[in-house]
Amino acid sequence: MLKICAECAETNDIGDRVVGLGDGEKLVEEPTLNEAYIVIGGPQGSGLETSAQVLTVIFASHGYGVIANREYHSNIIGRHSYVAMTVNSVKTPRYFNYPFHVAAFMDAESVFVHYGDVVEDSILVYDKGLDNVNIDSVISMRSDTKERLLHEYREQGIDPTVKGVTKYLASSKGVQVVGLDYKNTLSILREKFSVPPALARRYVSSIIVGAVVGSFGIASEDIIREGFKYRFRGREKVVESNTYIASLVAKEVMSQVKTYKLQEGRAIDEFSFVVSGNDAVAIGKVVGGVRFQSYYPITPAQDESFYLEDHMRMTTSRGDLGGIIVFQTEDEIAAIGAALGAALTGTRAATATSGPGFDLMVESISWAYEAEVPVVITLYQRGGPSTGMPTRGSQEDLFAALFSGHGTTPRIVLASGDHEEAFYDAIKAQNLADKYQLPVIHLLDKFVANAIVTLQPPDLNSVVIERGKIITSYDKPEPYKRFSLSDGPISEFAPLGVKNAISWYTGLEHNEYGLVSEDPETRMKMVEKRVSKFLLADKEIPEEGERAVLLPEGIDVSDVELLMVGWGSVKGVAVEATERLRGQGIKAAYLHIRYFAPFPTRYVSTVISNVRKAGGLVVDVEHNELGQAAKVIEMNTGIVVDKFILKYTGRPIYLNELIEAAKKIMKEKISKVVLKYGA
Amino acid sequence: MARKPEDYRTDLWVDWCPGCGNFGILTALSQAFAELGLEPEKTVVVAGIGCSGKIWQYFRVNGVHVLHGRPIPFATGIKLANPELTVIAIGGDGDLLGIGAGHFVALGRRNVDITVIMHNNQVYGLTKGQASPTLPYGVKTKALPAPNIQDMINPIALAIASGYTFVARAYAMDTRGLKEVVKKAIEHKGAAFVDVLQPCVTYNDIYTVQFYRKALYKLEEDPSWDPVVKSPEEDIEKKTQAFIKSHEWGSRIPIGIFYVNPLKPTYEERLKERIPTYLEMPPAKQKIAVDGGRPILTVKDLVEVFGDRVVYRRKKVN
Ligand SMILES: Cc1ncc(C[n+]2csc(CCOP(=O)(O)OP(=O)(O)O)c2C)c(N)n1
Ligand code: SF4
Ligand SMILES: [Mg+2]
Repeated sequence: MLKICAECAETNDIGDRVVGLGDGEKLVEEPTLNEAYIVIGGPQGSGLETSAQVLTVIFASHGYGVIANREYHSNIIGRHSYVAMTVNSVKTPRYFNYPFHVAAFMDAESVFVHYGDVVEDSILVYDKGLDNVNIDSVISMRSDTKERLLHEYREQGIDPTVKGVTKYLASSKGVQVVGLDYKNTLSILREKFSVPPALARRYVSSIIVGAVVGSFGIASEDIIREGFKYRFRGREKVVESNTYIASLVAKEVMSQVKTYKLQEGRAIDEFSFVVSGNDAVAIGKVVGGVRFQSYYPITPAQDESFYLEDHMRMTTSRGDLGGIIVFQTEDEIAAIGAALGAALTGTRAATATSGPGFDLMVESISWAYEAEVPVVITLYQRGGPSTGMPTRGSQEDLFAALFSGHGTTPRIVLASGDHEEAFYDAIKAQNLADKYQLPVIHLLDKFVANAIVTLQPPDLNSVVIERGKIITSYDKPEPYKRFSLSDGPISEFAPLGVKNAISWYTGLEHNEYGLVSEDPETRMKMVEKRVSKFLLADKEIPEEGERAVLLPEGIDVSDVELLMVGWGSVKGVAVEATERLRGQGIKAAYLHIRYFAPFPTRYVSTVISNVRKAGGLVVDVEHNELGQAAKVIEMNTGIVVDKFILKYTGRPIYLNELIEAAKKIMKEKISKVVLKYGA
Repeated sequence: MARKPEDYRTDLWVDWCPGCGNFGILTALSQAFAELGLEPEKTVVVAGIGCSGKIWQYFRVNGVHVLHGRPIPFATGIKLANPELTVIAIGGDGDLLGIGAGHFVALGRRNVDITVIMHNNQVYGLTKGQASPTLPYGVKTKALPAPNIQDMINPIALAIASGYTFVARAYAMDTRGLKEVVKKAIEHKGAAFVDVLQPCVTYNDIYTVQFYRKALYKLEEDPSWDPVVKSPEEDIEKKTQAFIKSHEWGSRIPIGIFYVNPLKPTYEERLKERIPTYLEMPPAKQKIAVDGGRPILTVKDLVEVFGDRVVYRRKKVN
């Protein structure tokens, strides 16, 4: 029995006669996996993303739910990158786990760096041609990483060469190591497809694809082709040659190892969207009616705008549905300025950025608040401070999202936990901006932004476009007052260009017309107007289920031993950890915070107090070193959460490390566990 | 009914220092608006921060008073989202060429159909007289503790280099001349820049009315001066002559139109290339919801528009 499957065997009901991935090929009689963990690695710019995409599509087109997260350096060509994947037969997983069932590597660095990610029975495929490479000669590795690894190798008596490491894994760890000579494999391309040797290196990505699918007993060209067809749309020759190589490699791997079997894929019915978090937000924005998006490129936000720019025109079989203007500006100050300008015309406008760019936008957020302009800022968090770790994840910008900007500027801040939430929140953010006429900050983290998942088609029947008090004509006899106080804190908004409705906007304090005023009474009324809008949002937006969600649904709060509290991408891994802990007899729950402003004060207080009253433990789980969400909880509720599971390596929280940390914090009565798994 | 300049004015008390050149600009712009017959609701004045930036509230057209240095980005967003609006961005020399210089250059690259009007008083008026980016090196205006230690930007040369397709200079006290130039600038299709020499009676005791009266001369006085590009081949020549002219600064300072290129496509035209329906259905005019709030796009539309992200379930066994 495979050690790594202990977890899934416990919690999942595995039928003993199920059909494997090879549709109708044969019945599998041994217990099969319903979930598998895969890692593939290689230098940046060498086609690793292609491998990941092709694999995702192969699995998705056979009904599996997939999530794939790419970890990479701020670099275009040469540095180490890897993709961790989870494939599930019944649902779309939203977490990563280790050890990996399958590891397939392009280069020596991957072998050196990921040697700890595989265990007994894992399958590891690598390039035998690299056997003699010594870690010292890998120039793309930085010295601190090398030193750390060399120290580990020394302790375990591993020879610091590719051969040494793989030998150690095979003999001491029971890993099923497959060494293939990649160069030899690729030489076949020349004869069969007349691919010149110079181009052959591009096919390493197919070797990786073949290695992975072969590890699951799949070598059928028919199945593999599905992935390459998607990747190389319409380029038949390229599809064929890549399919051929992948299938060849798959057969070779199958002949050398005891393969894994996956249960039949039942996670996807007719089709799914295979999207990154960036894509999900982009598509959500289009559905939500965003027709103007401005941006200045920054990781990990740029892909959203770039994707939109590739879909500026919306023509379908039923006609022309318009288009979205994607405007690349000279900096983030211009990006937010242009979005605000567009918003004044009644257009749904947004911008997307991450930390450094957001900082540049802050003065304008304050302006938008004063001038009551609906705008959405999609803020993708990455590792800070400063330029920090541009391509790595974090949840460090919560304070910035909440408190940036001078003056009193309570804005709406909502955070998405996964791709579904990202899609719907993108729409919701626009609705909220319009309804309350203020800036809305939509927070995401890189782990959602850059992870590619299978996403079920959205339920658009549940989506409503709410534009609040926007008006398209004005015919009252008296002059239009943009900031009228006559009907509650929210005034009618006639966009620029509406007949008879001349309007004035200023960042200065102003009267009902929008003209400058420093009268003390007017000042008080206007300050109160703006704050009342926020208080109204607090009154109108439901707390339970909307602003915060207790998971699993329907549990009894007074019967929770361990309550994890988190936000953003923590959701996926925490929900799964909760389920598995429950499978092990620990009554765990996860409180997912979705709005940080207006904060779900009453609901969060109630949940935490009830859990504590019944003797349960409350633990804050986040990707930052301060426990920023815990501080915000304290600020709003007065409740101090003083147990933490934190991670700030820039890598996602993996399932097993979270489960272990949760158990540890329960057992040992310590206040903090810091996680660090992942290369 | 023809509108009069007064129709374009609010009745607020104008709080510039008595004698300030800004009054001339306010007068000239109201006249230009009236003579062009601009619809007040379809006209937007976007202003920055400074004495100059106060001008928006004195017009009875839409006014958007933004952040220091940022009139151009806001104006661009307004124009691109609703190209039927006439958009005028106004700022001081500090606003447009100091803190907002990046945006100033960027607008030239895009040639969006916006008119930029710069109140050039060589000082930061509203912060009490510091040197602005248009004050020459070594000049000491009234409030400066010592002569200016930084060089000046040549606004005309910068505008030409950046790609503005209408570049002119006018004088605030010559309201008729200014009005004419502004009218042409607004009528010009593309990014237009008017550098308005504006005496600041409080902080600038060098570039005074007396000084300008002696130094200024009109480009149009020279009958051979022709700033308009008539064919693409002429462009460099016209740019070069304007560039050379722009360096006259001192005892003789030219005002008038330096350079006009009506041939370069505007940003809006470039967008139309990508989205053919852009001008009829710009962002501000698009319907985004139907039937009381359903999004206009259905799942089927999504599958078509974002087909590159759709993966079908291959076939189902069982
Ligand atoms: C970000 C920012 N920094 C500084 C200021 C302060 N400030 C107000 S007006 C001004 C200078 C204005 O000079 P200019 O643009 O030449 O306009 P003028 O007053 O001369 O018309 C400055 C620096 C501000 N409002 N915002
Ligand atoms: S300080 Fe100068 S620019 Fe400002 S209002 Fe007075 S005279 Fe005009
Ligand atoms: Mg000035």
